[in-house]
Amino acid sequence: MIGRSETMIKWALYGAATLAALLFQGFVLQFLLLWGVMPFLYPALTALVGMYEGPVAGSAYALVLGVACDLALGGPIPCFYTLIFPAAGLCAGLMAESWLPAGVLCALAASAAAFVLTDAFHLLILALTGQRAFGTAALVALKETGVTLPFVLPVFLLFRAVSRKCHFYD
Amino acid sequence: MKNFLKRHGLWVLFAAAVIAVAMAVLSYFSNTSSPLANLTGVVASPFRTAYTAVSDWIGDKWAYYQDYQELKKENKALKKKIAEMESQVRQGQTASDENDRLHKLLNLQEKRPEFRYETAAVTERSSSNWTSSLTLNKGTSQDVKVNDCVITEEGYLVGIVTRVGLNWCTVLTVLDTDASLGAQVFRTSDIGVAQGDFNLMPQGKLKLSYLPAKSSLLNGDLVVTSGLGGYYPSGLVIGSVDAVQLDDAGATEYATLTPEADLANLSEVFIIKSFTAAG
Repeated sequence: MIGRSETMIKWALYGAATLAALLFQGFVLQFLLLWGVMPFLYPALTALVGMYEGPVAGSAYALVLGVACDLALGGPIPCFYTLIFPAAGLCAGLMAESWLPAGVLCALAASAAAFVLTDAFHLLILALTGQRAFGTAALVALKETGVTLPFVLPVFLLFRAVSRKCHFYD
Repeated sequence: MKNFLKRHGLWVLFAAAVIAVAMAVLSYFSNTSSPLANLTGVVASPFRTAYTAVSDWIGDKWAYYQDYQELKKENKALKKKIAEMESQVRQGQTASDENDRLHKLLNLQEKRPEFRYETAAVTERSSSNWTSSLTLNKGTSQDVKVNDCVITEEGYLVGIVTRVGLNWCTVLTVLDTDASLGAQVFRTSDIGVAQGDFNLMPQGKLKLSYLPAKSSLLNGDLVVTSGLGGYYPSGLVIGSVDAVQLDDAGATEYATLTPEADLANLSEVFIIKSFTAAG
């Protein structure tokens, strides 16, 4: 059982780590074009926190990140990331609880799952707006996941450091 | 000494007078200097040479030192001058860039006097792989609104403003799947709808659909905004026809368009803040 101040410190540290990841995305990844797509870290962030903090806290974090992404990036619909990121956080939390122990494998699997969910939602929106582009969209999704996963590793190390710091006495 | 002068003073004076007279006589009758003066000059000559050499050396060194100090001062002044001139060049470059921008704006204004423009710089490109958008550095404080058209300096359509903040706005380019504009084929006046297509977006192309049944498009035909409905200005160049194809059902034709604007390399654009709708 951790106190209120520890909780606040923990989420402040996760916030700082998220900010570092966002800066990495904005200053580096935004300008990298690999196989025609750029690495997109945001879904992986929800997966990493979901993996370390469990489904409920992970979903809550993902909801906040989703709102921030919708405000900053804008999506195909106004609440795109707000809707899908909590599901990705929940999925990662459940995965870490019942399938794979939190670690690099789980991080990669949960990130891949987060991309599958986010990109499936993109596909759904495209289909609903009359865009019949399943092949192209699937290819973009595959490429996006492929080029982002290597960049998940340094971010995973950062979030693992935060998690270890916060759960040292657990 | 006193006694010596008392005893021999007269003799000394006499001898001196004789020598003086003798030297005077010798110098009067000689074409060169007197032998005594000559002797003195010969003896002093090497000393004079040495003295002159040393003096010249010291003079050189002193002159070198003075020159060095002078050059240091001059170098410092020149460096300062270069810095000032570089600053002036930079200012000139900025003024020149601004002049270019205003010149382009004037050209656009002359071409389409009914438009009111705002120049803007591209600050960010698409932030996701699923959209084609740009972020510009102008917003509501410059009277930019949602649905304002954005064009290049040549007047080619870039996209439409979809989100706007105080000092920023987001533009969905004509390639984005949410972009949909009334379009007209310039040569035939056929009306259609230019819209982004996710299949064509990676190739940097868009689709012209809802064409009339008997349209006869040719490759290279220019497609412009129709301006129907008065939402967007008419006559903005969207792109040129790349190919004409039948849809999946094989019932209707659509054309793929290549945008005239070089969307991948834009750095500066013009926002049309207001226009007079075609009557």
